[in-house]
Amino acid sequence: MSTLWLVIQREFVSNVLTARFMIGFMVCLLSTAVAVFVQVDDYEKRLASYNAAVREAEPETQEWDLYYNIRPQAHRKPNPLGIFNVGAENFGANTVTIELAKPVFELTFPIGDEPAQKRGSDNPFLAMFLTIDVVFIFKIVLSALAILFAFNAVSGEREDGTLKLVLSNAIPRDMIVLGKYLGGMLSLFPIVLISLIVALVIALSSPVTAFDGNHISHVVLIFAVSLLYVSTWYLLGLLLSIWTKTPATTLILSMFVWVMLTIVHSNMATIVVEKFPPYQSKPEAAFVQSAADVWDQFRKERDTYVKQRGYESLKDSISWELGTRSEKTNRFLTFYSYGIDGLYLIEGYILRDIDKADTSIFQEILGYQEPLRIAYADKVEEILNKPAEERERNAKFADALSRISFADVYHFAVGAIAGTDRQSYNNFIQDSRAYKRRIVEYLKDKNAFTSRTWFSNDQGAADLTDLPVFQDRQLSLSESLSRAYIDIFILLAWNIALFMSAYVSFLRYNLG
Amino acid sequence: MIWQIAFKEIYHNLTTLRFALILIVLPVLFVANSFIYSFGGYGYTAQVDTYNQQVTQNRNHIGDYANKGLAELALVGPGEIPKLPNPLTFCADGADKLIPRSVKMQNVGMLGRAGYDEFEGYQWRPPWILEYPLQNKSGSVVQRIKVDWVFIGILMGFFAILFTFDAIAGERARGTLSLMMSNTVSRGQVLLGKYLGAFVTLMVPLIISILINLLIIHLSGNIPFAPEHWLRILGMVGLFALLVSIFTFLGLFFSSRVSNAITSLVWLLLTWVFLAFVFPSLLGTFVGNLNPIPSVDEVLRQQYAQLGQLYDEYRPFDGSGDIPSKLSKAASAEDPEATRLWAAFFTKEVETKTRFADGHIDQQFRQVLLARDLTQISPIATFQYAMEGLANTGIVGYMNFVKQARRYRQTFIDFIKTEDQGDSESLHIYPVKEGLSQSPVDPDAVPVFGEQISYWSVLTQVMFLVLFNLLFFIIAQISFLKSDLK
Repeated sequence: MSTLWLVIQREFVSNVLTARFMIGFMVCLLSTAVAVFVQVDDYEKRLASYNAAVREAEPETQEWDLYYNIRPQAHRKPNPLGIFNVGAENFGANTVTIELAKPVFELTFPIGDEPAQKRGSDNPFLAMFLTIDVVFIFKIVLSALAILFAFNAVSGEREDGTLKLVLSNAIPRDMIVLGKYLGGMLSLFPIVLISLIVALVIALSSPVTAFDGNHISHVVLIFAVSLLYVSTWYLLGLLLSIWTKTPATTLILSMFVWVMLTIVHSNMATIVVEKFPPYQSKPEAAFVQSAADVWDQFRKERDTYVKQRGYESLKDSISWELGTRSEKTNRFLTFYSYGIDGLYLIEGYILRDIDKADTSIFQEILGYQEPLRIAYADKVEEILNKPAEERERNAKFADALSRISFADVYHFAVGAIAGTDRQSYNNFIQDSRAYKRRIVEYLKDKNAFTSRTWFSNDQGAADLTDLPVFQDRQLSLSESLSRAYIDIFILLAWNIALFMSAYVSFLRYNLG
Repeated sequence: MIWQIAFKEIYHNLTTLRFALILIVLPVLFVANSFIYSFGGYGYTAQVDTYNQQVTQNRNHIGDYANKGLAELALVGPGEIPKLPNPLTFCADGADKLIPRSVKMQNVGMLGRAGYDEFEGYQWRPPWILEYPLQNKSGSVVQRIKVDWVFIGILMGFFAILFTFDAIAGERARGTLSLMMSNTVSRGQVLLGKYLGAFVTLMVPLIISILINLLIIHLSGNIPFAPEHWLRILGMVGLFALLVSIFTFLGLFFSSRVSNAITSLVWLLLTWVFLAFVFPSLLGTFVGNLNPIPSVDEVLRQQYAQLGQLYDEYRPFDGSGDIPSKLSKAASAEDPEATRLWAAFFTKEVETKTRFADGHIDQQFRQVLLARDLTQISPIATFQYAMEGLANTGIVGYMNFVKQARRYRQTFIDFIKTEDQGDSESLHIYPVKEGLSQSPVDPDAVPVFGEQISYWSVLTQVMFLVLFNLLFFIIAQISFLKSDLK
């Protein structure tokens, strides 16, 4: 055991005393600090716009007095862990407005009045600047440092001639590999640790970032994964160092591998999938057309029902006090908005002189019609969701391709842990749909569809005090782990594979 | 003597592993680039098709309304103006997906009111304004670096580092440096020789790869080039040379400054990462907070508030109540007084909407330009902007387009007014339908939008790149002159 410790110590000291350690340490610290500063600022901005959106929604809620025109909103709460990995935090919609007759969908071309909108954005063009966060710095800088620590661990000693000396001692070769690995990791450990601590301190020093225990535990997990990532690079450097004869060759080779895996590969994979998408069926316009057909079906079904009840049109179902019949046409007003190209069909009713009207049958019909409309909206949603599903499938494919490089595996793992990846965004959209279903259930429980308050407030406004509020979900550590475990597992597998290869190669190493 | 050293360097470089690796990597990247951009979806051909469709649509639109009369055309506007697709996106993508492909100059919607008592019923078309729609509103795709020439240029910086980090430190360690200096060569010559050696070894595979790239694109036939494009591509090769040269000098500087080749590489690598990724992106994010502009919602709110005031003043929809509507009479050719009031209302409405639309996008542009100006401290960012400038992609290309669209807006209005002067029956009141000439106009006489591209903005960046070269040349020279041989 003491010999192992000796090797570790020797490796550690020879690393720490070099200029590259000091430079790497300073640069990593500095760039992490700057990145966190900028990201904290960015997070504050997101939070401010979120708070503003929630605040503004409040008085609007007070104004709803009819059931049919409630428009509750689901706001996407900014994730404080976005400071470490901004991921998809700045992309996509952050407010979904729930309207019962309007499906929740995302199309790429602007249709006006989308249910899912991005609020608080001030300059879409700034998105052309790449966003940088702690994880990006780690992904690029730490990997470079790990490589630069490892490249001459074996080939360097071989060139210096010290390797022969070391091996002529009674230290077994496996001890040397293990010692070199542990020693290298020991010298990288403080860099990762202190950079993350500094990041955390800067993040906490902002008055608006409220980190609780749950967040801290996520940061600890990010730290662990970062170590695993650094270790992968160190092992790769070690392996290359064993495989090549001179440190110069190791260095050039590992630099190329580094630039390919960290910078070239993922960009290439993404753009190739973007330009040659594996899943591509119809253009969005085709889906929009079928959505319009569905709404036509709804109208037909509705009209059939009204006829079945014995009325020519909806307005005949209202019986008015005698003597006012001649003015009947003026008293019933339907207004509707049939979204662009028939994406949604919202209808509202205004009845003048409602106190002279008996609307019981009209209410009954609405009790049939409105749930039917919601069911149709769900159908349309299924159709309109297809382009987004396709985009997601393509993106998943690109992700899978990117995973060939473990630098991207690390990025995905951290994104999943922090809850800032694309999946989290999709979950938000899913949650807003679930929220809509809850609202529908709520209205059903209140018998709102058959209630007069659906369209008129002459008998008192709708009681919406206990209307469900959208709950943003926060990932617990175990949930994060269950989402990130595949990526963590891949990193672990790389580590084991690289370590085994380095171990075997070194045992068979020919000093000659 | 310089060339002797340079040739020695080149011969030496040719046999190294790094040269072999570059010889593989560069062609692979350029071939990938040519395939992705000439064969992939949403490529240039598809864009040209869409553009042509839009142009035809636009022409039909103008033709339809010109036949209906000058007044109709004046209010509907010249239509949706598409931006010319750019064949050179494969050189500099310039966040192409974020750039809107058109601006809107039309309004087909009608507004109306029912009349009663003094309040006359009237239907009108609110005059068009120049609108700037956003591209890809709900795109949840995270922006990534594109594999364009700019990206390869960034990598060229990295390769330049790999060729120079040990150029002096390595010779110093091997002891060959003092041997060389014992000859009658000056230090400056040695440095220049080494510079030329590295520069030539880098540029040769680069140019070969570029030729392969252009050959594939040319043979694919999907991106046809005009002679002018070839000139721009030549300019881009020049930009590549400037960038490679900067990083070669930078490498020589660190290599002579630092005693140990590895330390020199660490410095260079981190400098490169900083200049290429960290620095430009951090500034980009930071400028948004440094120079904040109101959000889209806020601008909309302000605009609604001001329009609300305008509507309160003129009350086009509401003639009842204590305050009589200024616009209670409908505009008509027989009633110039009422028509003038409507014109005043429309002019103010257009002015308010235009002020907000133009003002907001100008603010956005200024923010981006500020970020760009700041990031030009990095030669890589400067290189990127110069490439985008030559390719006419990116925000500058879009800004040029917007500027010309605004000029066209004025041209179109002037055309309407001049045409209208020719009709003696018209009231000459713009922009009310009843106040303008009702007779049809010749569709061919209507001015069409033409986009001219200017490359003058590139000059600043080229100057910067040359300055960077000079600067790094001088510091490399000084540092080598002062350095120890052992």
